[in-house]
Parts: sequence; structure tokens; C-alpha cells
Amino acid sequence: MTQRNLSRRRVTPGRVVLYLVLILAAVAVLVPLVVIASSSFKREDEIFTYPMSLIPRIPVLSNFSALREHFPLYIWNSVKVTTSIVVLQFITATTGAYAFSKLTWKFRDTLFLLYIASIMVPIQSIIIPQFIIVRNLGLYNSHAAVVLVSAFTAFGVFLCRQYFLTIPDSLLEAARIDGASEYLIFWRVVLPLSAPVIVTVIIFSFRYFWNDFFTPLIYLTSQTLKTLPLGMADFVNQYNIAYGPQMAAALISIIPVLVVFLIGQRYFVEGVVATGIKG
Amino acid sequence: MTAPRSMKNRLVVASFLLPSFLGFFVFVLLPVIATVGVSLTNYSGGRTFHLVGLANYVSSLKSSAFLSSLWITARFVVFSVFFQLLLAFVFALMLNGKVFARTFFRGLYFLPSILSSIAIGLAFALLLNPGEGPVNMFLQSVGISKQPWLTSPRTALGTIIFVSVWQSFGYYMVLFLAGLQSINPSLYESANLDGAGLLRKLVSITVPMLTPTTFFCITTAIIKGFQVFDLIYIMTGGQQGGGPSGSTTVLVYDIYRNAFMSFRMGYASAEATVLLLLLLAITIIQYRSQRGWVSYDAA
Repeated sequence: MTQRNLSRRRVTPGRVVLYLVLILAAVAVLVPLVVIASSSFKREDEIFTYPMSLIPRIPVLSNFSALREHFPLYIWNSVKVTTSIVVLQFITATTGAYAFSKLTWKFRDTLFLLYIASIMVPIQSIIIPQFIIVRNLGLYNSHAAVVLVSAFTAFGVFLCRQYFLTIPDSLLEAARIDGASEYLIFWRVVLPLSAPVIVTVIIFSFRYFWNDFFTPLIYLTSQTLKTLPLGMADFVNQYNIAYGPQMAAALISIIPVLVVFLIGQRYFVEGVVATGIKG
Repeated sequence: MTAPRSMKNRLVVASFLLPSFLGFFVFVLLPVIATVGVSLTNYSGGRTFHLVGLANYVSSLKSSAFLSSLWITARFVVFSVFFQLLLAFVFALMLNGKVFARTFFRGLYFLPSILSSIAIGLAFALLLNPGEGPVNMFLQSVGISKQPWLTSPRTALGTIIFVSVWQSFGYYMVLFLAGLQSINPSLYESANLDGAGLLRKLVSITVPMLTPTTFFCITTAIIKGFQVFDLIYIMTGGQQGGGPSGSTTVLVYDIYRNAFMSFRMGYASAEATVLLLLLLAITIIQYRSQRGWVSYDAA
């Protein structure tokens, strides 16, 4: 094959434009993320030098030490709240999904439809009565408030149900004939077979509540209870000018999600796709 | 024999259902119903309140803040949904074929959608700093004048729309990619035999076969668009924000400020009810209309 033939086959103008667009878009996506990472280690006066430097001329850790008064507690609060929600969502999603896929009872499909419909209800449209309920339960300004209002996940129930439906009923029937209770079947048969969907639900729930801002904003007022996103927003309002520490805080909040994404990208993608498939 | 058995069955069902149902009932279903109830009162967070009938709805219709928040929400939703889905579709098409580093590009475009909006908002606030921000310095260096971005009522909403598109198009791209993958390849093969060109295949096969995905994406994007809050909070001024001059005060922001800054909970509940009804109406209209343009005779 001649040189000319080869090049004509591989480098068409269309291909060039395609890669140009892909690379430009990749740069556009990366710039804000790189800015967060590199500004975290820059002195305030270097952040606004132009053209921007990728690697700080004089790398500093002062932006992180500016966070040491409040942020260790914010991070701890975020870890605590997010972990509790993930555990509760795992329980509510899997048990709910079992009831909707492996047990038969009256009004099952109606209730399931109501669960699904609740996905389209924006939190802001029900936040006022929810707030009143939380306050009457004596939970206002506590982590328990944020955790309990977030425990139910229609998305998780839906996702697990779709998965449980693919587990053959004959498997469960065999266990029932052997005298196993539904609880045992759920625990020993269904859950072990459902690892992929459980990982997906856990990852989705983790990333959503690690980033969640609105619910903590409504329910947490004490400085000592605030989660990371809330603490970041406070920080901006109080110290309006310091960009370095803001970026350091942003970096800290992004890293856990980034790590989970790098390890389990396929679960993210599968979770997104699963919501789009009509069930 | 059957009676105790069905009792036991009910107990089993109840025990599996209870964890999710409790959360659903107490913190979702009850609040949905109660929102309508509270909207008929002058509740302001204290111990007492009075029924005021439809007064909150009447005063909301007379409130320029409410009406402008509806208008701002409409603009935000229309533009952000349009550009998110357009980019998502185009990039899905580009990444569907044999492309070098396909997984990398796909992962990278998707990444912003899972990151904290607060962190992202902070990064863009830095980039778009109206004084010496990198974006303005760049524009200046290529001969374009500096833009006020978030600090002018003329540009603030557009800037937030841009950031939301930047953050979310990759999410819908992943959905479109899955949709593209589910199209039966034999359709393209027979089109090739008929000598159909790229454009022809796009219009006659890809677009119609993707209508279920498109429908799902539009519905999801609209619902998410109505809920935009974090970016507005962090990029345009915090609790008292939604500025400059209220130019980014969307409906959910107005609800938040009325309920939790001014404690006009009855009034804010009326706004929240309007929000619920709006979304309900949009969903119903979409489901009605999908028969006209969505084809489910799948691959």
C-alpha cells in the first residue's frame, strides 16, 4: 500500500475535525478542574497571574493550613452523615425492592408507582412541611435530621427491583420448599447474587450525599455540625477574597468522589444507564 | 390453616416494606400533601397560624418577585436543557464509532456531573472573576473586551446556564451512548446496501431510534433544571443572593428565601405548590405527546 493511500484512509478532514473538537472539549472540561488543583498550591498573588501557570512557581501549603481550624470537623461530619445515609439507603432500597419484586401483596404495583412518581418531586417543593415535621420530631439542627430525611431512595428501590426481577423465582421457591424464611432467602440468596446493583446504589448514594448541599443547609445551623459543602459555602461568605483556601477546600471535597470514580467508573455509567432503560 | 399463614405473610411483607415506606411516607408523601395545606395558611414558623384561603396564591400572582422568578426559571430550563442535550447528542455520536481513547473522553466528559456543584461553582467564580480573572485576561489578549459575567444582571443567568451545561452534558451523553449502542446494527447494514449516506442514516435511523432516550433525557433534564440551586447559591451571593438585582433568582431560590430567610412559610408553600403543579403538568404533557414522536418498536 502506498504512502498516499495510507494517509488518505487514516487522515480524512472529518477525522481531523473530530479529534480537534474532542480535544478542545476535553481541555474545556479540564480547565476548571486543573485550576482547582493547581490554585490550591499557589500563593494568592500567583493565582491571578496571566498566563496561568499549571505548576505553581512557589508551591505552598498555606491554603490548606488556612483550613485547619474548621475543616477537619466539616470533613468528619461529612464522613459521618454520608456513611449513615449510605447504610440506611442500602437497607431501605434492598428490603423495599424485595417486597416489590419477590413478594405478592395487594396494592403492590400502585405503591411502586407512587415511589417512582416521587422521583420527580423536587426537594424544594416539599421542604417546608418536611422542615416542620423534623422540628416537631425534635431533630432540627442535628445530623439525624439530614440522615433520616435522606434515608428513603426511590431510585435505589427501583434499581434494585429491576435487578431482583432477573433472579429466577425458581431459586427462591427451592429455598422456600427447604423451609427457609423470606428473611433468610433475602439475606442468603438474593443479596449475594446482587452485588453489582448494590455497589451501584452505594456509589450513587455516596456521591450524591457527599456533595449534597440543600438538605444540610436547611437542617444544620451549628458551626460544629456543618458538612463539607456547607462549610465551603460559609467560608466564601465570610472570607470573600481568599481564593487559595477556597480551591484547597474544593480540592478536598472533590478527591473522594474522584477516587471512587477512577476505581468504579463502570458502576457510575451502569447506574446512569439503568435509569434510562424503561422497566 | 390459611388464616394464620396469610397473617404471617402480611407480617413478612410489612417488615420488608417498612424501612422504605416510613421514609417515603413521613418525609415525602406527607410533605407533598401538607405543602398544599400549609399554602392555605399564613404560617410563619411560630406556634400559631390562620387559614387564609387562597390569599397566598393571590399575592403571589401580584408579586413581581414571584413572576420574575418564573420567567428566570423558564429561561434557565429552556436554554440549559437545550444546550445540555444538543452537546450530549453530538458528543455521543462522535464517541460512538471507533475513536482513539474513547473511554478516556467519555469518562472525562462525564466526570463533572458527579462532582460537587459547590466546588465547581467556586472554580468558575475564580475563572470568571470580572477583574483579573483568567477568562477575561484571555479574552483581552485576543482583543475582546472584559465581560462582567456573574456581576451583571445582563450576563449572570447566561453564565450560570453555561456552567450547568458544562457540568451536565456528559451525563446525558452517557445516556445517548447507551441508546446508540442499543440500535440494531442490521438497520445500518441494510441502509448501506441501499446506498444511504451518513446524513440520511442519521435522520432516518439514528434520530428515530433514539427517541425513547431523547424523551427520557428531556424529562430528566427539565426536572433537574427546575431544581438548580447550589450553583446559584455559591456563584451569585449566598443566602441573600440570587443576584445581581435578582437576575438569577429562580423559583426554588425564591421559595428558599421566603421560607427560611423571611419565614413566610405559607406564602412559600403556595409557590412550592405551583412548582409541583408545573412539573406535574409538564410531565403529563410530555407523556401525552410522546405517542406522537417516540417510537418504541426497538431494536
